[in-house]
Amino acid sequence: MEIADVTKFLAETTPFDQLDGAALGQLSAHINVYYYQAQDSVKINTDRLLIVRTGIFTLYSDQQQLLTKLQSGDFYGYQQLLTGLTDSDTLICEEDGLVYWLAAEAFHQCRYQYKNIDIFFQRLFSRRLHQYREQQQASRFTLKISDIVQQRKIAIRPEQTAQEAAKLMSDSRVSSLLVEENSKLVGILTDRDLRSRVLAHALPASTQVSQVMTRQPQSIDRHAYLYEAVQQMSQHNIHHLPVTDQGVCCGMLTATDIIRSQQDHPVYLIGEIHRQLSTDGLERCSQQIAALAITLSKQQVPAYEAGHIITTITDALTQRLIYLAQQKLGEPPCVFSWLAFGSQARMDQSLNADQDNALLLEKEPVGTVGEYFSALAEFVCLGLAQCGIALCPGNIMATNPELRLSLKGWSGRFARWIATPTPEALLKASIFFDLRVIEGSKGLFNALQEDILQRTTEAPLFLYHLAQAALQRTAPLGFFKNFILEQDGKHKKGLDLKKRGISLITDLVRVYALYAGIHEVNTRGRLQQLAAQGIIDSKDSQNLNDAFDLLAQLRWEKHQHDLQLSHDVTNLLNPAEISGLARHQLKDSFAVINEAQSRVKQRFCREL
Amino acid sequence: MLSWLLRKSTALSEVVNHFINTPFPASSTPVDQANFLALDLELTGLNPRKDHIVSIGWVPVRGQEIVLSEAKHYLINSPVSVGQSAVYHGLHDHQLKNAHDLAEILSELLAQYAGYIFVAHNSRLDEQCLRFACQRCFGKAPRFRFIDTMQMEWQRLLRQGKVVKHDALKLPNCLKRHGLPAMANHQALEDAYSSALLLLSQLKLGGNTMTLSDLYLLSR
Repeated sequence: MEIADVTKFLAETTPFDQLDGAALGQLSAHINVYYYQAQDSVKINTDRLLIVRTGIFTLYSDQQQLLTKLQSGDFYGYQQLLTGLTDSDTLICEEDGLVYWLAAEAFHQCRYQYKNIDIFFQRLFSRRLHQYREQQQASRFTLKISDIVQQRKIAIRPEQTAQEAAKLMSDSRVSSLLVEENSKLVGILTDRDLRSRVLAHALPASTQVSQVMTRQPQSIDRHAYLYEAVQQMSQHNIHHLPVTDQGVCCGMLTATDIIRSQQDHPVYLIGEIHRQLSTDGLERCSQQIAALAITLSKQQVPAYEAGHIITTITDALTQRLIYLAQQKLGEPPCVFSWLAFGSQARMDQSLNADQDNALLLEKEPVGTVGEYFSALAEFVCLGLAQCGIALCPGNIMATNPELRLSLKGWSGRFARWIATPTPEALLKASIFFDLRVIEGSKGLFNALQEDILQRTTEAPLFLYHLAQAALQRTAPLGFFKNFILEQDGKHKKGLDLKKRGISLITDLVRVYALYAGIHEVNTRGRLQQLAAQGIIDSKDSQNLNDAFDLLAQLRWEKHQHDLQLSHDVTNLLNPAEISGLARHQLKDSFAVINEAQSRVKQRFCREL
Repeated sequence: MLSWLLRKSTALSEVVNHFINTPFPASSTPVDQANFLALDLELTGLNPRKDHIVSIGWVPVRGQEIVLSEAKHYLINSPVSVGQSAVYHGLHDHQLKNAHDLAEILSELLAQYAGYIFVAHNSRLDEQCLRFACQRCFGKAPRFRFIDTMQMEWQRLLRQGKVVKHDALKLPNCLKRHGLPAMANHQALEDAYSSALLLLSQLKLGGNTMTLSDLYLLSR
């Protein structure tokens, strides 16, 4: 016979909220109810699931470190139920309350019967935070090259003739061929090449392919996203991209393939951007970004992919503005690299990101060189601002003369940060250590990056201070009714998902990446490489990755929410609006961050 | 499960004898080792001699844990109409058509919970009703050992020097005072569960050394 209050409570508690009335009634029949008074110690190794009904319970580690606080709807004991291993934590009642003890057999029965409940507790235990929900179907907006490219490779050798090429094209019903020599891609040949380079020049049908092909073509990895291919094609005004798999050519992607796969793809925005002839035109394009973001969200595009797309659009706007600037100012007087820092560099830009950019120049920025790039920076940065990417309040922009430097100038600046680090300087400078080239010379950029990484890998004092800076902020301890519970036991309304979550992970991962000399700047990419190189434990890497994805996802959803209500987009989450599931996930994410911080502290902040 | 008991009318009085012959725990027993049964009756009126039981709900408390797997709620065949009492317990005559025989339910109660200390909120009426009901069904009634969560609450408030208004002792108000979740009132099982919750809190307030004799004193 069920007690209405018990079943009602279970019906409102994740993950039991998925059960129907009959199942809830059955479950409640296996519950014992106990009342704890403040100061009581809870016997936790009882092989039952503890469900907090009312009151507050504090969990301490065997070293008496405050681990977390449990409140209504929180669980304990699933660890032991799942693994059979006891632990030495202590759980103390802080505010009088009722707990439900669910018998082990009923817990296991429930897990066995309801896959989602099993998954919930497994993930709660193993901190595999993502994928509580069923995996969504691959969205067409996040298609990868491998999803649409023809699984056949049509290739010809360079010494074969134009006629043979034409015949192969007709026979295979394709408009382009890969040209391979000893299984190595050396060029591509399109039907347009046959027309404009052979027929138009009255060359004979026996002309060798090698004479008329396009040499050293652009190519793209088959695991890249489709919109990256669109970006690359638009930028270079090409319609054919050889596709590679681990460096080996495996097929051809054409503009037609892309159009066929997604007629109304909003990421055509990128193509449109590359066709604009004025800043005003770009501004019009950029007005579609918010609508695009909402579409992406409706299509359940994961936050990190959405961040990637938003960044790609910012890249495209930047590239086009640089092109337009050059149309206005003439050819640049020397080679340059347009750099992005921070989130644009890491490819995890959000909708409220501001500009963080700079110029790396081949020559010293004096005289006409200085004037030219000052004008270029002005044009591009103001243009980006017009397109809705706010000017950087900290003046980290190419318009700042201190951020238009030669390779020597930049190298010297990084050398100073690294050789004589001060905590205050590093707090401000850490953003500079995530950098990526957006337009211009890759070689120049690579030289700078090599130079930086060579220094950081051998600079324990620098890493010490960088780690200290990364440890300045901590993740909150958990949730407490309508408050966020801070490490110092205080309560605070509102959770800044960026400052108290995402940035903490970015900062930690940067320390490791600079220590290991990893070129990748994307946080997820860094984590993968750090695990692959054995710098950090692969489980820790996976946990941080999951926590990062979860926080990014919540921020992305918060931004969508703000957009739809036409609010200003902010990172501040109201704890009263956090769902039961998100609360469990967030708590675990914070625990992952706290653990990772203490590892960084042990590794980089010991006495030097 | 009790069919053997119901086969003969003599067997029925066996149940009473079993209950009578099962000793209650010694009054020196610490409260956390005693077994309790929180119960509540809904009646056709307030006169135990004349009025009838409409429903009964109970839930045991062992080792200070409320054992929900044994929570029971039965509707009882009443020889008279529930009449105006339906206003309180919400049970109407048509709902009682498939109800149980009082003797059957009382047998289950006495057989299963011999040696248990019964708990009710304002237990006097429930105790008298149970005794009359046993008398009617079995020809004799055992002595029950009851403790009263309302009396305990009254004494507790008096000791704190508070002026106790009558309303303050109603079950929902007691739950609220103890920070316990509010329940639907006047359903036998919900009320039994509520008084069980109240008991848990009262036992905790009594401290670790409390024995049954302390409890009897408090509940007088």
